[in-house]
Amino acid sequence: MSNPVSYFFSCLFVLAAHGTMLFSVFSNGKYSSVNDVVILAAAVIGLDLLYFIVMPFFRQKTYAVDFMLVLILNMSIIFQSCFGGVKLDVKHFVTCITALASCRAGYILCCDHRWIESKKKFIWAGIGILMVIILLFTGSRSMWIDLGFMTIQPSEFIKPLLILACATSVSEQQNKHQIWKFNIVYDNLIIFGITAVVLLFQWWCRDLGSIPTFGAIYASGFILRICYPKAKYSKKTLIIAGICVAVLGIVAIIVAPPYVKERIFVNIWDDTSGTGYQQSKALIGIAEGGWFGKGAGNGMLHDVFASESDIVFATICEEWGLLFALMMILMLLIMTAMPLINPPRSYYHGNICAGVCAAFTVQMALNIFGSCNMIPFTGVTLPFISEGGSSMVTSGFMIGMIVASQSPEFNQAVRSTGTTRTMNRG
Amino acid sequence: MDNSIVMIAIAVLDICALVLMITSCVERHSGRKRWSKMTSDMELAENDRIFPLECDEILIGRHASADIRIQDMSVSRYHAMLNVSGGKWSVTDLNSKSGIYVNGRKVQNIRLYEGDVIVLGTRRLVFRRKELQR
Repeated sequence: MSNPVSYFFSCLFVLAAHGTMLFSVFSNGKYSSVNDVVILAAAVIGLDLLYFIVMPFFRQKTYAVDFMLVLILNMSIIFQSCFGGVKLDVKHFVTCITALASCRAGYILCCDHRWIESKKKFIWAGIGILMVIILLFTGSRSMWIDLGFMTIQPSEFIKPLLILACATSVSEQQNKHQIWKFNIVYDNLIIFGITAVVLLFQWWCRDLGSIPTFGAIYASGFILRICYPKAKYSKKTLIIAGICVAVLGIVAIIVAPPYVKERIFVNIWDDTSGTGYQQSKALIGIAEGGWFGKGAGNGMLHDVFASESDIVFATICEEWGLLFALMMILMLLIMTAMPLINPPRSYYHGNICAGVCAAFTVQMALNIFGSCNMIPFTGVTLPFISEGGSSMVTSGFMIGMIVASQSPEFNQAVRSTGTTRTMNRG
Repeated sequence: MDNSIVMIAIAVLDICALVLMITSCVERHSGRKRWSKMTSDMELAENDRIFPLECDEILIGRHASADIRIQDMSVSRYHAMLNVSGGKWSVTDLNSKSGIYVNGRKVQNIRLYEGDVIVLGTRRLVFRRKELQR
């Protein structure tokens, strides 16, 4: 460990943050027995301590993102355990531990960018396999596979794979081939094709809420591929791409299914018991919560469908207050923005960070603005805060990718790139 | 309901975020030291111009998007790439018009050592340790 003092203080303040939240639950929360609060506190503080003890064994060079992750996950456990009355949400607790394990997996797989980049064909194949699974098992109007004891959303697992597929190194972008008058990088065409197929699949199985997230991942990869390695880019290309996106958006609205059009143009206050039910309840909940909330477990939104996932922002606003909910969003933004404080040393890792940041930002925006009726309701989860195993595992993996960019390995032997074919003679 | 406890919790959360950002800054500082150690603290120099080597892939060329931009018509738009791996630097010719010469020998891909002279077109770059010029 290179900085034991900063490690110690980080542990201390994460524990203090959770401690004050738990004290707030004890003071203001609704519970039938103090034992429920004690069990919740033991679970949260125990997970903190366990993670702080286990983390140094991975011999990472940086830990800041890990601390942010454990801070947010345990905040999430406290929030979810308090909806409708204080009681440890065991299922959510287990999914949070799975997310931490998934984060470790993401770190281990991505810390050596040359290795993971050399496996790009497996990444493409992984996306293909997931799409075949969607095709065979979810059906055309569903996004879930029901295993009986749990449900899985396979499209969630495509997100980290698409981020890895879109990431590129500078060397790879030099591997150009001349086709007619254009210098083409074959990988760029393949990524475009993969993204197009993924988006069509999402449309086919009516997981329309995920389309902006996949679009954002591809857009960040696309911009970084044409802008590499510095912000020197063709404005003409970007303007054409922007026009294409706008046209696609208009066409999508025109051909959208009736229930989507209804959501776009609905006035929720005209139909508070039908189409506008969740959003109207969510807005009332946010208003009733005010700045400081009603107290943990004292809200009424927990009775509304998807209160712990799709409108979780409103549920937190109601019980903890708008200030606390905004702090939670700030924490998520800081975690994804950590690479701005400690920038990656490789272009590939920089691409990964941009992809993760794009995916998280779009998901947060869709969830929060959807809850607040600023955009149509999409049903997208809030990373790490909403309940849901598939989302939690993939979000954990994506944060592991950011951790990898902060603690990279550059230990492989010199790789000969003498066979690189380029068409950029000056 | 006691709002002051919620306010304290928010304040502690704020401080925690600040501490973690400071931790990240400290890690950045130690990361720089580690990078210098791992890459032998090398740099490229051309007369008075110094080019720090702060990434694992550095593109040299005439194009505005190159990491090390050399505005000279004898240098290709994307002329050469410097790579570091396992603490060893190497230079690769990106199929440039005039090629790369390291210590007078034309090369396609070669490992670099301290004091090597890299010639791109009519320009001459020296691969050297940072301490030498201080």
